[in-house]
Amino acid sequence: MAEQPHRRVVITGLGAVSPVGIGADVFASAVREGRNGTSEIRSFDASAFPSRRAGEVHDFEPSELLHNLDLRHWGRSGLLAAAAARLALQDSDLDPELLSRSRAGSIMGTTSGESAVLQELAGQWIGEGLKSIEPRLVRQAPASQIANAVNSELGLTGDAQTIPTACSASNYALGYAYDMVRSGEAEFMVAGGADAVNRLTHAGFYALGAMAEDLPRPFDANRTGILTGEGGAALLLEPLEHARARGARIYAEVLGYAANCDAEHMVHPDAASIAECIRTAHRNAGVTPDQIDYICAHGTGTPTNDATEVQAVRAAFGERIPPISSIKSMLGHTMGAASGFGAIACCKALEQGFLPPTANVVQVDPAFGPGVDCVPGRGRDAELNILQNHGFAFGGNNVITILGRLG
Amino acid sequence: MTGRPTAGTAEGAVATAVAVKPLAVVGAGVVSAAGYGLAPLGELLRGGAVDAVAPEAGDYPPRAVRTVADFRVADHLGKKGTRYLDRLTSFGLVACKQVLEETGAPQTDEERARTGVVMATNTGSVSSHSALLHDTLAQEKPYQLNPAQFPNTVMNCAAGQVAIRNGLKGLNATVAGGQSAGLFAFRHARIAMTLGRADRLLVGGVEELSGPAAWAWHRTGVLAERAALGEGCAVFVVEEPGERAPLALLLGCEVAYFGPSAEPSGRRHGLAGGLALVIERALERSGVRPEEVDTVSLGATQHIGLNRLEERGVRSALGGLPAPVRVGEVLGETYSASGALQLAALLALWAQEPAGPRTGLVTSIGHDGNVGALVVRRP
Repeated sequence: MAEQPHRRVVITGLGAVSPVGIGADVFASAVREGRNGTSEIRSFDASAFPSRRAGEVHDFEPSELLHNLDLRHWGRSGLLAAAAARLALQDSDLDPELLSRSRAGSIMGTTSGESAVLQELAGQWIGEGLKSIEPRLVRQAPASQIANAVNSELGLTGDAQTIPTACSASNYALGYAYDMVRSGEAEFMVAGGADAVNRLTHAGFYALGAMAEDLPRPFDANRTGILTGEGGAALLLEPLEHARARGARIYAEVLGYAANCDAEHMVHPDAASIAECIRTAHRNAGVTPDQIDYICAHGTGTPTNDATEVQAVRAAFGERIPPISSIKSMLGHTMGAASGFGAIACCKALEQGFLPPTANVVQVDPAFGPGVDCVPGRGRDAELNILQNHGFAFGGNNVITILGRLG
Repeated sequence: MTGRPTAGTAEGAVATAVAVKPLAVVGAGVVSAAGYGLAPLGELLRGGAVDAVAPEAGDYPPRAVRTVADFRVADHLGKKGTRYLDRLTSFGLVACKQVLEETGAPQTDEERARTGVVMATNTGSVSSHSALLHDTLAQEKPYQLNPAQFPNTVMNCAAGQVAIRNGLKGLNATVAGGQSAGLFAFRHARIAMTLGRADRLLVGGVEELSGPAAWAWHRTGVLAERAALGEGCAVFVVEEPGERAPLALLLGCEVAYFGPSAEPSGRRHGLAGGLALVIERALERSGVRPEEVDTVSLGATQHIGLNRLEERGVRSALGGLPAPVRVGEVLGETYSASGALQLAALLALWAQEPAGPRTGLVTSIGHDGNVGALVVRRP
């Protein structure tokens, strides 16, 4: 069943606040060049950790980007989300007043919510005891403040929905926002995600043995894991008819998506379930495997993920696997924002005609078998039409979105 | 865009709102201070509150709590695989087990692929998260966490574990929306089902009590002094109305955000006006007239100031406050679980009254600016 009976939905605005730069164009140029966005951690004292790198957004100055938020009242994840949303709105050239008057809201994914705020609260707990925790920080702590921040920044009274489904969350947000616009529940929606680099996530991935020794090297034979990352990613969705009527630049049409659950293991991905998610996404989008020009992989760079992902893609695509690359090689793993950045990379790849690369690859893992083109090193010029964006998560949450050039 | 709402404004959207198709609630699983299932909750609501108790152990503020007494997950699920489950996920698993025993678990691969989970939470398990965070700050080697416990800190842990235990391979969503998170879950379920994303969903909300969370509530000063802190979980199986007799039908479910700077200048609904707006929209999309509502299950009953705003919003939309149900008064404040437990309370009370058509409203309003309304009908 192709998802066509409802109205068509397109992406007309992109906002990126990322470890490789702020703004969709800066982001796209950096990605195309294969630039490294990771560095020594500054946001917390990482001196006691064996691994001290992460993909932080060092040059994020909320006051330079935000118009409406009172910066004292929001945590870093919310500020990253709101800044990305403001950039997406500016990029879309949509009248902010029209947006604010319309049925419009935001769906924002996250893994760790307001983790930097929680980290500060935990510091107060250890310092002076629980009775000393600051109410100001408590009010900033719920994950729901992330979508709330977007709605407050853009002046939106529609759904302010945070989706804390871990590392596929912004793909789920994109799918849900698409459903809301195409079914008429909303006129416009902002979709995306945000997370902040923080001590607990860093420690947790290290404890799981999933942390890269030096750099993330997805698809490489000697890949050792992830580096954590942060950022805010946002995409503005509107009905095709509306976008055409106002002469908007249309990056891509959301052709469809699928979400399923492994229901096997909290942490280990399941190839059969991912393959099924790919097939369902294709069916929902009304496309066939041979039409997919590129896969923006989940591609964490852990030995297990990349092997499982390639296995699943092979199961769903058969002989020919489209070029498949991981922008996590450059950004680090931006968690709840990761598949939002993937969707932005896809939109820019369609617009500018290039395959996003996988950085840091020395030798593609021969265990994957033949025909795996991970676009090593730098981006490659390519005429693209239909792209597939992956997001997988703890809890077995798989979400795959299909984006296409407007025909 | 013919046949679709094309309104450019919030007010306009009300005028052209599309009618919703009813969803059937065919079962309910409840874990609360009242006990397990709807019946003890109904009795508690009719009989008045149980005595609040002091917390069993740990660092708690001087405030009453209402806990799920003597809860041990292994008593319900057996010992296998339950060692590292936290309290929040355990409540979710037990409530889901209950409701699947009542309604029947999916049997075929196709049914499992088309059955999903939508769970409301705003912070996940505060006890899991804060304990590990404490470790990373207090220990000499901050990276030596127990890797078996780290997955408990992600907020979709409960939904993921429910899927694993019950083989539910359909969409698996975790939603946050502050005090209104439960209503966001019902709304998400409605939209997903309407678009054919699943045939059956387990929809609910879950919250656990912990020292850090209790202190967080206490320090913000938003709750009335007499208000107890609570915990629990309610999960409902929803599907297209069919052969099974439903406990109730879920009709319109609307949410909106009236937080700081959300409204364009010149419009000031505020929280009460915003709540009235979503109630009106939910009623209209349900084809229900305000005077048909015979029961209102309120959410903010223990929140200073918000309780009055909620009642004002309801009165403004309905012209009165018919048969208010205040589940927070008997279970304590349950935050992420409150919307789901409000629906459970409504159904539990109706079950104790004579059969026949009933129409209810579940409302929610939060300090963060989120408001929500769900229309419920018993045939």
